[in-house]
Formats: sequence, C-alpha cells, structure tokens
Amino acid sequence: MAQSQSTATGARDVVEPSGDETEFVFFSGKGGVGKSTVSCATATWLADNDYETLLVTTDPAPNLSDIFGQTIGHEVTAIDGVENLSAIEIDPDTAAEEYRQETIEPMRELLGEEEIQTVEEQLNSPCVEEIAAFDNFVDFMDSPEYDVVVFDTAPTGHTIRLMELPSDWNAELEKGGSTCIGPAASMEDKKQDYERAIDTLQDNERTSFAFVGKPEDSSIDEIERSASDLGELGIESQLLILNGYLPESVCDDPFFEGKRADEQAVIERAREEFDADATATYPLQPGEIAGIDLLADVGGVLYDGAEATVDVGAATDVDADGAVDFDSMADADAVVDQLTPGDETQYLFFTGKGGVGKSTLASTAATKLAEAGHETLVVTTDPAAHLEDIFGEPVGHEPTPVGQENLDAARIDQEKALAEYREQVLDHVTEMYEDKEDTQIDVDAAIANVEEELESPCAEEMAALEKFVSYFDEDGYDIVVFDTAPTGHTLRLLELPSDWKGFMDLGSLTKGAAPAKGDQYDEVIETMKDPERSTFAFVMYPEYTPMMEAYRAAADLEDQVGIETSLVVANYLLPEEYGDNAFFANRRAQQAQYLDEIRDRFDAPLMLAPLRRDEPVGLDELSAFGEEITGLADVAEADVPEVTPS
Amino acid sequence: MTELILYEEAMCCSTGVCGPDPDDELVEVSAALDQLEDAFDDLEVNRANMQHNIEQFLETQRIYDRVQEDGSSILPITVVDNEIVAEGEYLSYDELTAAIEESPTPQEA
Repeated sequence: MAQSQSTATGARDVVEPSGDETEFVFFSGKGGVGKSTVSCATATWLADNDYETLLVTTDPAPNLSDIFGQTIGHEVTAIDGVENLSAIEIDPDTAAEEYRQETIEPMRELLGEEEIQTVEEQLNSPCVEEIAAFDNFVDFMDSPEYDVVVFDTAPTGHTIRLMELPSDWNAELEKGGSTCIGPAASMEDKKQDYERAIDTLQDNERTSFAFVGKPEDSSIDEIERSASDLGELGIESQLLILNGYLPESVCDDPFFEGKRADEQAVIERAREEFDADATATYPLQPGEIAGIDLLADVGGVLYDGAEATVDVGAATDVDADGAVDFDSMADADAVVDQLTPGDETQYLFFTGKGGVGKSTLASTAATKLAEAGHETLVVTTDPAAHLEDIFGEPVGHEPTPVGQENLDAARIDQEKALAEYREQVLDHVTEMYEDKEDTQIDVDAAIANVEEELESPCAEEMAALEKFVSYFDEDGYDIVVFDTAPTGHTLRLLELPSDWKGFMDLGSLTKGAAPAKGDQYDEVIETMKDPERSTFAFVMYPEYTPMMEAYRAAADLEDQVGIETSLVVANYLLPEEYGDNAFFANRRAQQAQYLDEIRDRFDAPLMLAPLRRDEPVGLDELSAFGEEITGLADVAEADVPEVTPS
Repeated sequence: MTELILYEEAMCCSTGVCGPDPDDELVEVSAALDQLEDAFDDLEVNRANMQHNIEQFLETQRIYDRVQEDGSSILPITVVDNEIVAEGEYLSYDELTAAIEESPTPQEA
C-alpha cells in the first residue's frame, strides 16, 4: 500500500512539536535494538520538517559519528547536509567525574589528601552516577533555542524515583539529616531544576516517551515493565517502535518464514496490548543503517507512512562473497577448560544485557554440567528472567530440583529478599537497644525511624546483594551457575561488595560496621577474582552496540573489582543451512566481521551459539541445544571416565 | 531557643541505615536527636556532615580551626548554643539532654 508522502502517522502526532515551547522526545530501550538509528532518523525527520532540532546522546559508546559520517563530540555540532540539526555526544563517565570533582572541590581546603581520597572513593557509587546522568537531561531540558530536543536515551523509573526523593525528603534535608542520595550541598541548589525537569517529564504535551524494541516477546515484556514503572510516576509512554523485523521478501525457507511469522505475531500482540498512542515498525536491513539516505528512509516510514526500502544488493561494504566459517573461530578445548569444576566449588557467571540469551545459555550450560555428573545449581539474579519457563518447572527463592539429576535452580525474589533484609536490619537494631538497659531512649520510635529508612531504593539494592552473597554459602554443589541480571544492574550488584568493603575499610567513615560482614564480602570478592574458582562469561550477539556494551562492562568489572573475563559467548549466529540469499549472506558476513572484532577486543576463548527457530524449553531441548554450543557437548564427554556408570 | 549543631565526618548516610548492616552509633544518635526535638519545645537540631554540608565547616571559624588543627578525627563535634560540649564522640541521649538543660537558654523538658 504505497501511500503519499504526507500521510501523517500516529507516531508523527507524538513526536511533532505542537506548541511554542521547546518539546522533548526521549527514546528508551536497551542496547542493540536500534535506538540510536531511530533517534537519528527522528531528529533528521524533524529537522527536515523545519523544526530547529538538537539530538543529545548520553551513550557511553556513541555511534552517532558512524551514523552521520562525521565527528561529533562533547560540543553541540551542526550536522552536515541537514539544515536545522545539531547533535552532541555526552560521555556519562566524564559527566560523573565532573560531578564528583565539583562536590569535592570545596573540601580540599579543609581535608588532607588522604581524606579527600576516601571521600572520592565514596562518591564513586552508582547513586552518584545516576544523579550525574540525570543532570545531563536536566541541563538540556532548558534549551529555548530549539523547537525540539531528541534524547537517544531516557531516565528510568529508578532514576526518576531517586531524583524525586529529595523533594519528598525536603523536611529531612531542612533538618540537616542527609540521605544516601543527597551527595552534595549542590543537591539543595539544584532542587528546583530537578523539580522542574520532573514536571516537564510528566507533562505529556511537552514530553514524548518512546520505546524502541525488537519484535521479540522478551523485548516487549521488558518494555512493558519499564513503561509501567514510568506510569507509576505519572509518565505516559506514547510511542512504541518495533525495529528490525525480517522483511517478507528475504524469507524463503521454513526456518526464516517461521521466524518472520513469530515476529509478526509479536508485533500484533504489542499493538493490541501495549498502551501507547501509536506503534510503528521498521524492517531489518542487510547492513547497518548509516548515512542520511537510509535515515530519511527510516523517518519516512515512521512518520510519513512511506514504504521501507530494503536494498539487498548494495547495502554493506563487508565482503559477502566468501563463505563464512564460524566454527573455525570457536575454541572448544579452552571452553571446556573454563567450564569444568576443580576440587572446590566452581562459580560460573553468565553476564550481559537483557535479550542476549543469557538465561537460556546459563540453563543450557547447567543442564550439560549436571548431565556430566556435576552437582549443579543455577541461580538467576535477574528479576526479569523466567527460569521456570525455560525448565518448565517451578523455580523458587531457595534451590529447587528441576527434574534433571544433580540439578537445582533458584531465583532471587526481590520482594522476599527485601523482606529478609528488613528483618535482619530491624533485628539488629532491636538487639542493639536490648543491650542498653539504662537508656531513656524511646526504642519503638527509634525502630520506626529505621523502618522508614528501609523504604529507600538503596535498601532494595542491598537486599538483592545480600541474597546474591548468600548463594556463595550454599553447600553441596560442584558448580554454581549464575544467570546474572542485565549488565548495568549486575555490575552494581557485583561491585557493591567491593564498594561496601571499601567503605568498611575506611573505618572512620562508617563507625561500628560489623567486621563479620566485611569478611564475608571479602571472601566473595576473592572467590570471584580467582580465575581457578570463577569463570566470567560475557554473552552478546555480534553487532556493534551489544559488543561495545559488553566490552565496557567487562572493562569496568576488571578496573573496579579486578575480575577478568574468561569466556565470551557469541549468541544468535545465523545458521548456514538457512537463509540462502544475498540478504542473509550480508548479515552473516557482518556477524563474522564483529566476531573478529570481539576476538580482538576480548582476550578470552569464544563460545558460539546458533540462532534457533524457537527458544529451547524443557530439559530435552536444553540438552539438545547444548550439543550445538561450543564446548558444552565436550564437557559431558570429558567427564564420562570419572563418573561410574550406574 | 536552643540550637544544637552536630558537625560530622564525611559520610554517605547519616541515618546509619545504608549498607549491609545498620551503623549502631548513627542509628542511635539519629533516634536520640529525633526524640530530643519532641522532648524540648524550643530546640533546633542541625546536622552538618563534611560531605554534604562542607560550607558549614568553611563558614564556622571555630570548627574550621579545630578540624585544621586536629584533623577530622576531632569529629563529631557537638555544639549547643555556640558552646562546644563534646569532641571526637557522639553523646548519648542522656548526655545530650543534660547539655541542653545546662545551656544558657533556659529549657523546659
């Protein structure tokens, strides 16, 4: 249905400015779904329609420069060839560092170098980073010279809740009491800016929230969760863009025809279920979307109702002629080596962003290890993971058998973890007061105070951490496989032990911290740092953003905790036996190109897993899937001689 | 009106409820200060910690000098109506009550 160029779409109504004041468009969604592409296309479309437009990216590994083919940096830069369009790349790490230095500067006068350093370390916390990130939004939410500002990322419900708290805790601040989220006096000064920014975010006339996702169930589920989080804060999600569906013309075998049918069903479901004003879609291209022409194509489809152009022939500059041999890139022996437990309990972490297939890979590895005779526990710390769907068995907060000999599974139940943590803290406080007989203090009021403090987002984090650490104390397993939460959150979880340990070491800063806890965390960190006992596997798929995100996360883990990545899992490799046409040849060549780059960036053996027609469900399918993944089949074989056949 | 000011070290969270285990001393002093505010009609309590309220340290000459001289181990400093009543340790509820009652501004409990 070829429509005229000017067919206004629902998406257009959402992003097009309607009043005199500057309007804001936020694109939310995880890495690798094409968020940058959609943001660039949207900004370009707005500029082409005579709106003075600014595009802001806070992606730590931005690729705007690749997309526009010109260098863009920390300064607002005019985009060549697009009138009315400027862009800026903000490095969130630099922003956080600037924020820290601003906070510390006045203390230099009074404190010695050593003390400054401890404060600096203390400011090296996830909370501070979140506040600094929010500052970036706030800075650009006062930009009267633009008609519209497009952000290629959006604050999460978690961040907004953090930023809202200062206003709720106004009374607290006036009293001088501080909270773990009020890092600086500047907080007070900025309160008004924050409040205004949050008001603007909640004003759906001026602000549009758009989600970008893939046509996959897990992607839609995640978007629904984030959207409902935002909804609770009075922020409506107006637009859903599903990017990267398989074009009909290239699906000419049952494998890809089936995949396409699944995607279309997901799109259908999203249109029906997701409560957005508009839904739009854009197809997968044979290559990466870059250059003004392709961006114009995206904008035309999303906002003018045009048909997408999928040019199979000339789309990529990768060499698609040579046959791609993925297998030659894998190293089965090295993988087996990493997976096989020694005398002590082995810890195997599968980490990576949501949607890369971590839970399935962790469950598959656990199944194969259990089959090989190792006592295995698989734990998910990802609140979004559905181990029960994967195993087809109920999985609880405590280790539960899932039908395979030697295999248990568990998941962190955030609510239960929080309840446990609350009880632990309140018990501790109650006990502390019991030991003081001659006090005139109103113990009930004191405990009520503490109970109130436990409502903070920090408490949730601590609760999850406590549970995570407790799985290290589970006895009787040869190997514990962690399906960790999406990278950012995981890292926070993983880094917290060393952060907290750092605080405790400061001693004078946190008086009376229990040394027993410090020791327990020490042990957990030592275990995670010991390559003999712990294996960190980063899961990604071979595309730019997922690779860069994993790379940065791995570097962070090494810098901040001293943990080295020991395995890299490349998932969703296009199978050779299907997709015999130029489109998939291009896609496959592109995957091979990124596999090469992954090998260059990560100094770790590569474990390869193919794209499947369906996600494996149940032990039989998991076991069969394991046979297709580098090293997993061999784990069983390698151990057979040691297991006495029954 | 009596003013009680507590100058404290740089810290993330003065309530003490932040981290794997609550900080006993901070929980206690937070509760004590809350209760004092209820017990005395005309008492104003102010907590300043170096991380969040550095300007209060820089602007208060006496405190600035003490920290310059002895370093931050001199903290916490408890001040009641401009009188330093304790250094290097937190006072208990009873001690705080006594300090307030002895202050130049008459107080009724």
